Amino acid sequence: MDHQQRWPGESRYKGWFYLLPGLLIYLVFIFIPILETIRNSFYKWNGFSNTREFIQLDNYAKLVHDAQFLKALGNNFIFIIFYSLIPILIGLFLATLLGRKPIRGLTFFRTGLFLPQILSMVVVGVTWRWIFNPTFGLLNTGLRAVGLDNLTRAWLGDFQLALPSVGMVGTWVMYGFCMVLFLAGMQRIPEDQFEAAELDGANGFRQFFHITLPSLRAEMGVALITTVIAALRVFDLVYVTTRGGPGDSTLVTGFLVYRSAFQQNQLGYASAIATIMTVLILVISLLILRFQSRGEE
Amino acid sequence: MKRFSLLLSVILAAALLLSACAKPAPTEAPIVAPPTEEPATEPPVASEAPAEAITLVVWDQYYRDVESQVMNTLNAEFEAAHPGVKIERVVKTLDDLKVTLKLALAEEDGPDVAQVNQGRSDMGAMVEAGLLLPLNDYMSTFNWGERFSASVASRNSFTEDGKTFGSGNLYGVSPTAEVVGVYFNKTLFEANGWTVPTTFEEFEALLATIKAAGVTPISFGSLDGWNAIHEFSAVQHLLVSLDYINNFTYGVNNVSFDIPENQQAAAVMQDWVDMGYFTDGFAGIGYDDSNKTFKAGEGAMTITGSWMTGEFLTDTDQEFGFFLLPGNPGQTRLAIGGVGVPFSIRKTTAQPDLAAEYLDWMISPRAAELWAGVGMLPAMPMAADANVEVDPLFTDTMNAWNTINAENAVGHYIDWATPTFYDTIVAELQKLFGKVTTPAEFTAAVQADYAAFLSGN
Repeated sequence: MDHQQRWPGESRYKGWFYLLPGLLIYLVFIFIPILETIRNSFYKWNGFSNTREFIQLDNYAKLVHDAQFLKALGNNFIFIIFYSLIPILIGLFLATLLGRKPIRGLTFFRTGLFLPQILSMVVVGVTWRWIFNPTFGLLNTGLRAVGLDNLTRAWLGDFQLALPSVGMVGTWVMYGFCMVLFLAGMQRIPEDQFEAAELDGANGFRQFFHITLPSLRAEMGVALITTVIAALRVFDLVYVTTRGGPGDSTLVTGFLVYRSAFQQNQLGYASAIATIMTVLILVISLLILRFQSRGEE
Repeated sequence: MKRFSLLLSVILAAALLLSACAKPAPTEAPIVAPPTEEPATEPPVASEAPAEAITLVVWDQYYRDVESQVMNTLNAEFEAAHPGVKIERVVKTLDDLKVTLKLALAEEDGPDVAQVNQGRSDMGAMVEAGLLLPLNDYMSTFNWGERFSASVASRNSFTEDGKTFGSGNLYGVSPTAEVVGVYFNKTLFEANGWTVPTTFEEFEALLATIKAAGVTPISFGSLDGWNAIHEFSAVQHLLVSLDYINNFTYGVNNVSFDIPENQQAAAVMQDWVDMGYFTDGFAGIGYDDSNKTFKAGEGAMTITGSWMTGEFLTDTDQEFGFFLLPGNPGQTRLAIGGVGVPFSIRKTTAQPDLAAEYLDWMISPRAAELWAGVGMLPAMPMAADANVEVDPLFTDTMNAWNTINAENAVGHYIDWATPTFYDTIVAELQKLFGKVTTPAEFTAAVQADYAAFLSGN
């Protein structure tokens, strides 16, 4: 709030009162639980007994040597490829197809392509688990129908294919979001830029790389941050489809948090994992933000 | 401005990850039960309605249709026998129950009676946290010793500190029993002239015969993980002794998982994978899906627990039978078995006596009759004059349960052994079945989990 806009005698702090209701909800449901989780990470505690033991950084020390945590973290980074990179590429491609020239049934395509994004992850997981079923699933049945019997697999149970299979489901959910984001961004680009480029003899590819892409920098930042965060905190999809299996080939940190906290009664340890992941997400997001704003200058 | 809102959304998103596993800290003062002057729980005379109704909150995990109906009947009859008492029933799946119950039992207004999963990470942890009421006194009051054996009682027993499993106080009573064995498709068996094997050798010969006939010998799906334990452990139970499996499960006498018998059972599993005895693509099939196709007539046999009997009796045109996995001649044949998820009482309940009466009703002859009526094995004897119409498949499972009881051959669910054992053995079994590890590597990896637990105990 600016000096000139304030009535004489009006408190300069009045604006904060408007924030109060939202702030309270944020404090009670987000901020205090975060602090509580960080505090729990310094304790050895099962999550419900009346005693807990302060063990300083022991949970974190254990974490560094926990092969399962490291494996899960590695899987999270592989998920970035499926949740972030591929969806952004597909999103860009589709947005370019749908965005520039008006085509018949545009709304239909846009809605259809965006649909996976608004479905609940559990619904998506259950559906794909069915599609991947080796006996009666759509994928193997389809392969058999066209004579590709030797390509059929136990998708979610295969040590090599389980992670890419679950990852592709993530791609299917995420690309619609990227596409809509880029479509919106493209509508902002003045048409005369393209016309000018065309007059100068720039073909579609050069227009894309020199006009469209640079103009979408802000949208790119949003898409990257949102999808990278989704990849690092993925839980629901893994829980519904593979539960981290086979072996630990689809284990992710989010599932490890759930398992440690609620199945193995190690809430302190689970809190340490969650804290580390939050710090990691913050750092990565800030890096993306810096990278993005540097390009804007 | 854009940067700021982006940053904010980043923080918010990250915050959700954290807040998802935050829980309130334990209260400094231990929870003390309010002093209760509970009137005698003898049912009052029906004509005078009590001024205030008593509500008993019960959490159970009988969410499947037929099971749920049994619970509703039992609750209605309990209410009828106790005017003024109202049962408030909350149904959850076992998974859901496991996650929410610990916190709920720590609350003053938590469930009075709840089904508490057996084993260290559930019942043991809750006993340690002082959430469950010891039932020893009620056991003598109601003479429960006549309804279940000492071996059954030890499965629901812990020492007061929750550290030692299998002895100490009784904390729960189980209404149903379970035995893991082989369901077979009678229709298919008769059409092909296959017969029920009586030794393990015969069983493996039968697998080869069925395979040669172009039928999947064992319908199986390991995507959900847990049922792979039964596959492996059913064969393991044919090779080890009762002392070993007791010691191992209760964590006493320092036994190891890394023994030749377990390696042998693991080798049998890999052999069956190699021979193609399991459903094609089993690693990508869930438990329910696998049973659905078995019910539809695909696959000759499936190795699972007697809880599936009711399921295999409905909505199918096939006829099924059940037999215990046969052992080697001259060797004790154990079978995985035990009692179902028991009912326990919250330590701070205001109505301990009424809750105990409810538990008594859950393991009454009437309950036994109702459970048998829907194809579930009751853990307690039925009344001699009980008139229950049972299916031949139910008689098969009933006989199997009676046999292993009479032979003192009731084994264990080995995943009770340590709090992390379930997750460890499921992951290791998937590697074993996927031929990523050898039987020796499998037993060594599982033993590492077990040894870590024993040394930390």
